[in-house]
Amino acid sequence: MALLALAASAFPQKKEDRLISGPGSVLTETKCTICHELEHIRRTPLSRGEWADNLRNMKERGTPMTEAEMAVILDYLSTYYNRERPPPEPSPDTLATAAADPMEKLLGAHGCVACHALDKRVLGPSFKEVAARYSGDAAAAPRLAAKIRAGGQGAWGNVPMPPNARLSEGDAKTLANWVLQQK
Amino acid sequence: MADPKNPDQSRRNFLAGVAGAGALAAMGETLAQAPAAPPGTISNDLVKAEKAKAMQWHSERPLTGSVPAHEHDFDVTPNDRMYIRNNLTTPVIDINTHRLTIKGLVDKELSWSVFDLAKSFKTVSMQGMLECAGSGRAAYQPRASGTPWLETGGMGCPMWGGVRLRDVLNAAGVKPGAAHVAGQGGDPGLVPTAAPVIRSIPMAKAMDESTLVAWAMNGSPLPWVHGYPLRLVVPGWVGSASTKWLHTLSVLDAPFKGTYMDSSYRVPRHPIEPGTKMPPDAVSAEAWPVKSMISSPAPNAHVKGGSPVLVRGRAWVGEGSVERVEISSDEGKSWQRAELAPASPLHPYAWRTFLYEYRPQRPGYVSFLARAWDSRGNAQPAVSYWNPLGYFWNGWHRVGVVVEA
Repeated sequence: MALLALAASAFPQKKEDRLISGPGSVLTETKCTICHELEHIRRTPLSRGEWADNLRNMKERGTPMTEAEMAVILDYLSTYYNRERPPPEPSPDTLATAAADPMEKLLGAHGCVACHALDKRVLGPSFKEVAARYSGDAAAAPRLAAKIRAGGQGAWGNVPMPPNARLSEGDAKTLANWVLQQK
Repeated sequence: MADPKNPDQSRRNFLAGVAGAGALAAMGETLAQAPAAPPGTISNDLVKAEKAKAMQWHSERPLTGSVPAHEHDFDVTPNDRMYIRNNLTTPVIDINTHRLTIKGLVDKELSWSVFDLAKSFKTVSMQGMLECAGSGRAAYQPRASGTPWLETGGMGCPMWGGVRLRDVLNAAGVKPGAAHVAGQGGDPGLVPTAAPVIRSIPMAKAMDESTLVAWAMNGSPLPWVHGYPLRLVVPGWVGSASTKWLHTLSVLDAPFKGTYMDSSYRVPRHPIEPGTKMPPDAVSAEAWPVKSMISSPAPNAHVKGGSPVLVRGRAWVGEGSVERVEISSDEGKSWQRAELAPASPLHPYAWRTFLYEYRPQRPGYVSFLARAWDSRGNAQPAVSYWNPLGYFWNGWHRVGVVVEA
């Protein structure tokens, strides 16, 4: 656990590192903060064409995101961070709340499914493998919740799991409990 | 740390000839107190602890920072003022096990430890300029995407120690058809899908006698963040060519294909309308155009009236040499020639100090502009052509001061 706490502190993030709320803002925050701070976006509004180039560049650099997700992010960025016109008033992220199943929404919004699947290995262990390993361990849920937020390496091999600093403690608990039930 | 056994002893043995014992002792002390970092990497706090207070940090992930021009008033950039531009994280690598491998279009694939390199090839000490392609990006209007380096941020000119890349290439034997050499470093990304940072340089630059495989910076082992234990130094060219944490050289028949060659570090072939997309015929960013900065006095300094004001700075160019530097004290209406330190044949890629003595006519505000010319007849422009990634800013540097009564 000490290792996890230190891992998180190695990349301190401002607590209020958010983008303007609007359709697609949560997905954009989630994907972009995997590798960099949101200041990179806030300080430099771009044209739609430049954002499209920028997104393709980030995908090439390794951001786990699908073409459909990139389309949402491009629409969001070229609406709220466009150098050619001021942003509209903040509005609720209707896309973040659109998914029918709340677990699916949570897994999707935080990029979990880029590396994990229910019953097969992708880059990380399957949810079923994780549940099986901690089966019968009563203290596993809080430990797993902390690990989901802090990231880590070693428990399942050398591929590191990045920190998920955008994930609230409450959502991390929800995710951990859900994962542990996937036996 | 990477080697829990005894990393410092091996550093001392190896670097006894170049490293100050005091510097090593200080480094050991810092390490002992530093917080731990994610597996295989070093924390930003530890990197920052070795840097000057004057460093301005632009981003934590990835770590980027530099000092402003008036904190750059050194003939040789000290380690603690060298800019930092990581693409990924700062790895901790064990010099005892680290190897450099050369492969691709070579007669024989070879690999060396850092110690082998020092024993096998002639060692070289050379002052050389490194500057991030985006240095000066903050001066572009409209703003370009990327680290907002100040006009004169994101560069430095330390003394490097190592061996010539061409000696390494010749040892392996370069095959006919070899056109580019790619360097790959051991810096891990934050996600397993992160693309490795691989850049390649044309064979002519790789064979230049000033292109080094370096292990020392200003007489000490490379600091962690500057590539310990081994890096490329491709002086005069965009900093990304100088791969840090170097472990593999690949000799290729064409430029390396990858995102850090094909989507980043590219500039339009001809000027484009500001705020528009990168044209399809863009070219790879290579040598820096001629550039200069005023490092003293500091902006808005108050200077004594009745005595001369000494305007001092540095000028450099990616290829060729600086021919002259001029100073204007009337916002560019007239220019006077500054005194320029002679070029050193041993350090063709080092920046050069210039001096200009200004005699104030009256108390009040006065501004200085610096403009350098290179040996090919190029001068710094007032404003550089805009480009989508904000590279190669080399507009006139301006510093204003107040002459007191």
